[in-house]
Amino acid sequence: MSTRWYPLYQRGNPQLRVFLPNFWMKLIRPTPKQLKNIVHFQCSMEMTKCDIKNYLEKIYNIPVIDVRTKITMGKFKKEVGKGYVIKDDDRKIAFVTLPKNMSFEFPDIFEKVKDQDDENMKSLEEAKKSFKSFINRNKDRKDVPSWFTI
Amino acid sequence: MNKLFQRCASILNKSQNIYRNCSALVLKNEFHTTSTKFDLMEFFDSKKNWSETNIKVGRSWKLDELRIKSNTDLHKLWYVLLKERNMLYTMEHECNEKVRLFPNPERIDKVQESMDNIEKVVRERNIAYYKLETGETGERPVEDVINLIGLPEKYEKKEYAIPRFMNSRWVKPYLENGYINSVAVKKFLRLYKEKQYNEKRKAKNRDYNHVQQLLKRFPDLDMELLKSEYPDVDIEKAKRTKKARGHFMPKY
Repeated sequence: MSTRWYPLYQRGNPQLRVFLPNFWMKLIRPTPKQLKNIVHFQCSMEMTKCDIKNYLEKIYNIPVIDVRTKITMGKFKKEVGKGYVIKDDDRKIAFVTLPKNMSFEFPDIFEKVKDQDDENMKSLEEAKKSFKSFINRNKDRKDVPSWFTI
Repeated sequence: MNKLFQRCASILNKSQNIYRNCSALVLKNEFHTTSTKFDLMEFFDSKKNWSETNIKVGRSWKLDELRIKSNTDLHKLWYVLLKERNMLYTMEHECNEKVRLFPNPERIDKVQESMDNIEKVVRERNIAYYKLETGETGERPVEDVINLIGLPEKYEKKEYAIPRFMNSRWVKPYLENGYINSVAVKKFLRLYKEKQYNEKRKAKNRDYNHVQQLLKRFPDLDMELLKSEYPDVDIEKAKRTKKARGHFMPKY
């Protein structure tokens, strides 16, 4: 597939072997909530259900029971101030069913980042407080520079 | 159409091989392997990178580095890169969903560049092999054709389920009463040719006038240079015009 060009499949011919597939798949957070063994993917437009199944089984070694796909239309937007319409690309979304005993929960990637945000907010508030106290201290002598007193 | 993906060997482990180690001081490259895990978690970055704001990586693979690799190595590296790209796409998508900054988005470009380079090398080898064996490049054949609106076009040949003489849909527009001979196409071609002619004419006039102005401003110009710059302009004729004369008494 280095030339990115599929020969036509005719019945009886050997199945097409793809040596360097350039298909991409990305795991997306399911909306709304799904059963534990259902995973949502967004994948390249050219992929068929068979492709998706083989891709996951052969490259990622994930057992796949069933694949359903849908193509969602990209949003239409009007460029502000320009007047013309812009359309986002269409997306292919695959709903992959894993075996019953398997379960997958989409991880919360920004859990730690939230804690960091809280810490940042705390330090910011502290800084604000100290600045206010500094201003209060120097209420009566506005012209004196900050390094003048301890 | 069922496509069987080549099974990739257990060397497909995370990120160690993906970016080239580019530190010059390392004399001995130690071989690292992490335990291979085939899992859906492969779509995500390693956990320690989740809260990072700056993830440092090396550069992408260069063509010359890939040329000395064997075919199997390239094949394995392709799948490593493919997985890495999927991982980066997933993380980018999730970051966008959560309105966060995706750390170091240039990683995607680096992986993509490496993949492009691998493809280039594979293609080179394919062409070399085909030339040796068959005398042809083995690339997709390209044909010069006249397209439906009467313009020349490069057509990349492809396979059809039926032969050309049976393909009435393909033949129809090229017949005597077909689309290519219609009034609309003829009118389009006429106007198109007129436009092209006008562009050419205007360019010619523009050059001619410009040469006249140059001759006016710089009477001692190097004529050979001028001739090489504007080969289509008749310089002897331009010299004699009123525009090229300048505000001084003529020498002749």
